[in-house]
Amino acid sequence: MTMSRQGVQPTEVIDRAAKLRFRWNGKRFSGFEGDTIASALAAEGEHIFSRSMKYHRPRGILTADYWDPNLMVQVGDDPNVRAGHRLVRNGMDVRSQNAWPSLNRDLKAANGLLGRFLTAGFYYKTFMRPQWLWPTYERVLATFAPGGKIDIDTPHGYHDKRYTHPDVVVAGAGPAGIEAALAASTAGARVLLVSHEHAVGGHLRYSSDAGDQGALAELRASLDASDVEVLTDSTVTGRYEDNWLGIVQRNHPIAVERLIKARAKVLVAAPGLIERPYVFEGNDRPGVITSGAARRLINLWGVKPGERAVVFSANADGDAAAADLERVGTEIAAVIDARSGGQISSTAGSSRAVEAVMANGEQIDADLLVMAAGWTAPTSLLNMAGDRPVYDPAAARFFPSDPPSNVLSTGGLAGDADLDGLRQHGAETGRLAAARAAAVRHRLQARTARALPVEGDEPAWAVDERVPLGRDPHPELFRADTHGMVDMSEDISSKDLVAAAHEGYDSVELAKRYTTATMGPSQGKLETVNTVAAIAEARGETISQVGTTVWRPPYAPLTLGALAGRSFEPVRVSSIHPWHEANNVTLIQAGQWLRPDHYGDPQAEVRNVRENVGLIDVTPLGKLDLRGPDVPKLLSLLYVNKWMKLGIGRVRYGMMCAEDGVVLDDGVTGRLGEDHYMMSTTSSGAGGVWEWVENWLQTERPDWQVHVTPVTTAYASINVAGPKSRELMRRVCEGVDLDAEAFPYMTVREATVAGVSGCFMWRIGFTGELSFELHVPAGHGCHVWEALMDAGSDLGVGPFGLEGQRIMRLEKGHFIVGQDTDGLTLGPSTGMGSLIKLDKDDFAGKPELAWAADRPLPLVVAIQPDDPDVVPEEAAQILRGDTNEILGRITSSRFSPTLNRSICLGQVEPHLAAGGTKLTVLLESGERISATVIDHHAHFDPAGERLRG
Amino acid sequence: MLLVPCPNCGPRNSTDLRYGGESHARPDPNTASPQEWRAYLYLRDNPAGWLRENWYCASGCRRWFSIERNTATNEFRDPPLPGDKRGGAA
Amino acid sequence: MAGLASRLRRRPPKYSAAALAWKGLRGEGWPRVWRDCDLQRSYDAVVIGGGVHGLATAYYLARNHGMTNVAVLDKAYLGSGGSGRNTAIVRSNYLTPEGVAFYDRSVHLYERMAVELNINVMFSQRGHLTLAHSDASLRTMHWRAEVNKLGGVNSSVIGPDEVKQECPSLDTSDHPRYPIQGALYHPPGGVVRHDAVVWGYARAADHMGVEMHQKTEVTDIICEGGDGPDGKGAGGRVTGVRTNRGDISTPIVINCTAGWASLISTMAGVRLPITTHPLQAAVTEPVKMFLPTVVVSGSLHVYVSQTDRGELVFGASVDPYANYSVRGSLEFTEGLAGHVLELMPGISRMRVLRQWSGLCDMTPDYSPVMGFTPVDGFLVDVGWGTYGFKAAPVSGEQMAEAAATGRTPKLIEAFALSRFDDGELVGEKGAASVGH
Repeated sequence: MTMSRQGVQPTEVIDRAAKLRFRWNGKRFSGFEGDTIASALAAEGEHIFSRSMKYHRPRGILTADYWDPNLMVQVGDDPNVRAGHRLVRNGMDVRSQNAWPSLNRDLKAANGLLGRFLTAGFYYKTFMRPQWLWPTYERVLATFAPGGKIDIDTPHGYHDKRYTHPDVVVAGAGPAGIEAALAASTAGARVLLVSHEHAVGGHLRYSSDAGDQGALAELRASLDASDVEVLTDSTVTGRYEDNWLGIVQRNHPIAVERLIKARAKVLVAAPGLIERPYVFEGNDRPGVITSGAARRLINLWGVKPGERAVVFSANADGDAAAADLERVGTEIAAVIDARSGGQISSTAGSSRAVEAVMANGEQIDADLLVMAAGWTAPTSLLNMAGDRPVYDPAAARFFPSDPPSNVLSTGGLAGDADLDGLRQHGAETGRLAAARAAAVRHRLQARTARALPVEGDEPAWAVDERVPLGRDPHPELFRADTHGMVDMSEDISSKDLVAAAHEGYDSVELAKRYTTATMGPSQGKLETVNTVAAIAEARGETISQVGTTVWRPPYAPLTLGALAGRSFEPVRVSSIHPWHEANNVTLIQAGQWLRPDHYGDPQAEVRNVRENVGLIDVTPLGKLDLRGPDVPKLLSLLYVNKWMKLGIGRVRYGMMCAEDGVVLDDGVTGRLGEDHYMMSTTSSGAGGVWEWVENWLQTERPDWQVHVTPVTTAYASINVAGPKSRELMRRVCEGVDLDAEAFPYMTVREATVAGVSGCFMWRIGFTGELSFELHVPAGHGCHVWEALMDAGSDLGVGPFGLEGQRIMRLEKGHFIVGQDTDGLTLGPSTGMGSLIKLDKDDFAGKPELAWAADRPLPLVVAIQPDDPDVVPEEAAQILRGDTNEILGRITSSRFSPTLNRSICLGQVEPHLAAGGTKLTVLLESGERISATVIDHHAHFDPAGERLRG
Repeated sequence: MLLVPCPNCGPRNSTDLRYGGESHARPDPNTASPQEWRAYLYLRDNPAGWLRENWYCASGCRRWFSIERNTATNEFRDPPLPGDKRGGAA
Repeated sequence: MAGLASRLRRRPPKYSAAALAWKGLRGEGWPRVWRDCDLQRSYDAVVIGGGVHGLATAYYLARNHGMTNVAVLDKAYLGSGGSGRNTAIVRSNYLTPEGVAFYDRSVHLYERMAVELNINVMFSQRGHLTLAHSDASLRTMHWRAEVNKLGGVNSSVIGPDEVKQECPSLDTSDHPRYPIQGALYHPPGGVVRHDAVVWGYARAADHMGVEMHQKTEVTDIICEGGDGPDGKGAGGRVTGVRTNRGDISTPIVINCTAGWASLISTMAGVRLPITTHPLQAAVTEPVKMFLPTVVVSGSLHVYVSQTDRGELVFGASVDPYANYSVRGSLEFTEGLAGHVLELMPGISRMRVLRQWSGLCDMTPDYSPVMGFTPVDGFLVDVGWGTYGFKAAPVSGEQMAEAAATGRTPKLIEAFALSRFDDGELVGEKGAASVGH
């Protein structure tokens, strides 16, 4: 077979004035603007483009379009590029895939000799013994993985997404699709027309018929004059709930590939039909092509597909291909007409080219076999909408059955007609789509509170009064009297499928899984119907009885880059962050927050807080502003302890449990005024607690008067801790008596700090030191922080980070929800069971907490390793003596600079919880050490004298 | 992407909302037996069909509401109009 | 007579390279992998659900307990549910001692499955990395590693450099929004060819006389003596099942229906702590091998491995709202791609070829529900959530023992349905609670 460029064709899409140069397997080639990689290579006489997956047989052009399974190539760092679709660009580096060492000489082609043993699924039946050899077998099998190569240094590229809300999306821009778009637009709908090909027109593009070309020009002119938005080289890849559509745009000027998400009110599926290859011996030999491939090569790119052709035709497209071939000088050796019983059974020749065709029992010399054996209806988008297509034996293809009423189909998917008939059906479909879209638009608008008001009643759902398209009779042609390839991507023959069915894999899904037919890159576009036909034949059933596989999204593959788009992971920092950054901070991720972990030496930071005074930025602490007369009741309902008598200016610690009694969160809440409270939560619990509060208020106690406002980021929060903190606060604080008697531990005051009014100041702290927790209007956070640093320079003030705070809280034995507790830790396990007030009428988790009182629960205890220099890892297990029986674990551990020894919190079985109990702790190193439970959670200052100071 | 009909905001992408699961009445915490309480905590009808369930309009009005959805087809029954005061777990 | 003959034990046609060569030379086909049988009126036990769990249960009933008058019923075809839709990962690096012991047994059964069932299930123990992106998740990894080691399971925490060594395509720099801070490395973890497990159990069970009935949908479970309507519910017992192909009498019914577990249990009057959520997965086009291990990121909700065919197979967490639709969503593939590119930015040009989903039976404590129910003779093997495939062999073995002996085996005591009445949930939830 020799392909070659011919003279100018009236329909061609190439610009012969614009020559492009590229490389193919390292060699220089050229093509024209408008050429695909495959057409450019074919025009220069290349006819082998890939090797098949299993047998490594040479493969040439089959369909010359996006779905061609034989035209997968590597372009630079882009693997699995469709050479039948991707346009040639200057400087492209194109390489063949799946060939070793080269496309022309592929050693793995030796597999072809073993074909009779390498039947589908052979690998399930061998390589079981010896077991130890399997990893080696596996490595060898894996070298047969097809496809291109990944370069892990490929840059992510630019991939922004687009959202759009059209009334009607038309998927497919053949004559019916274009008419649908035009008619819908004329009827007032916002329309998006999506063309999979590089230009609109569908099959008219590669028709040499003058009437077709006239119609195409007219349709294009109408589109240009319309308000329809047209996307070319784009595919509707998926239809999801409520007509949410994924559209991949491959020709965006900036984005490598762009995902468009469209909420269509009505989807019109008009993808046309996909030509189905015929199955016979030698049907994968280079030189066997579909009629569509012949017509595209000739009419779009001026490429003559061969010198002497046999045309196997079952329909008008085959006849048209014969006429096109003749026009460009291909000798037509024979037209085998399937409609009058003509039959082909095999090709002969080398593995690299067709030399003869066996047809009607005769051998005909030819270098080209063109087949027009029928159509596959790509019902994919309808399947995704829940439709199950139905097979019509008279037309030899599947048709939609009962898609939802906001998904319409037109064009070849819906039936057959002459061009005028298709156009008319398209236009009627467009009008119907617009009418239904108007009703959906009305409904959406009426149901959306802040949308523009809509007038009148919702329009009635338009009745489908379209004249249905006909169904042209077509012979049921799937397989000749010989066996051949069904799935070219996977090297699966009809023989494999029949054997699989006889072996019991006889439903189409089982056969698909067992043989892998339809699982390759074309995902059944070419091979599904032939697969079903082979199973039906093996079972002695009809295609209708066997049914078809379910088409899954995406209809056309799309890159991970397009799907991912840009990463929009927010980063949260406090308003004091610039100061931290300027002061040698080491940051730590805490959920979305970036927080100061330390400023160089956390142990020194701890010592400074214990001796002088330190500042920590605790802005991420959750803060909820609660107002209304029923706040005390709400607090009593959500916390396990009592809240009805909290005085103004007082603060109380509370623990929250879920309805199953598991510890949910903890924090302090203060009463700022008569009906005004501020609740604080853990940093990671801020969002969850807010939702929890809203849920109770809205669903269980809707009559209570409470307003909840999350103010976490409205305030910058600074904890000023250390024995000199009062002195420091005196220097910056106005209007509040800071004496211990006037402003004691566990109280709250409103104050002006460093000239900033509206600050709240709490006498609380996680460190166990005399502390003032400031909540400053966020915009002034950095100012107040700097003022504190300035005012305290002679007091030794310094910043401390999360690590220092964690050490100090551990010294004080404060547990952290989610670290010292886990998803099953019930309230009493924290060791704070006395907080739980079962005499309250109701609170979240009350029944479980009541029953828990009688259960032997694990307990959080403070533990000290007997060797003060050993710090067990957080996660070290507590075991029974020398056994492997787990009795608990270390949940927190640090070296305490204050006590100069290692300290821990852990969860242990209840019988180990008493002070003085000896424990065995398994270090990660495997060493077992002894440790002792201490009497209090607090390793340091158990009486709490320092914080009350 | 499922469109969830929020009574306040109108139809919203499901990713704007938080799913609250089946809507069941909370037993009286003072009289419920362990079996009743744990049935409330853990047991679910989980039908393949109509289900009354709760949603929280997390990125919109931040209201909890309850509505019926068919878990096999994802249709909503009787979607609300703006101002609909339904809501809350039964 | 046909029924009787079909129950006679047959000599299994052995799979081997030699047999493959012999048949290849003679151009012979293979016999049916399992028989097409007539539905009998009565069985000693009926297993509902022809996935890996149901088939393994039937296999072990026959193999370990000599119960061969057993039918496996499936409303579609064998392996049509989660068995053929999962991402085929097998591992035993769980958090609780109970979980570790249970899944460790499963890994052992997988290791010898190819030989035992005489079908190559292609268990590829290529190693399994669970990435940690925060100090909290790293702490949980350490916790798991410690419990794993005590259970004799090979599992340890490794740092970013070692992660890079195991898997060079991962970005272990500090560029990502949530940089990789380490990983739990579990060398025996890997992937299995899931369909082969289905077919292997079906074929082996068939050889011992178990009957597989496809397109056989259970429409009701017939009970007597229970406290509910029609004798269903607590205190009653099972007498049979009603199907679209007629009634069957049987004293033992085992529910192995995963996402449909609630619907089947309701037929016996048993309410379950289960909600059904789709779990989606996707596969890319093939490329040459570049990803040597299984990679999981809990914080980014993604797991990925490369098949021997060169495709990347991805999974994520279950869909947020309960439903029985397996059509999939765009937001799933978008989220997945975003997370995968955070881990491996170099693969942005790989194309997603297909997405699908399966139905998962989620429980409140991320652990299964196995064994007896308040209805005598009605057993459940459900609540498998997103980890059913990896547990199939051990579940089948243990459920078979429970059904055959009437006693709960020790290995599954912790997973009893009654734990929800008692408030004694399994601690796998512990790992799911990661604060700060």
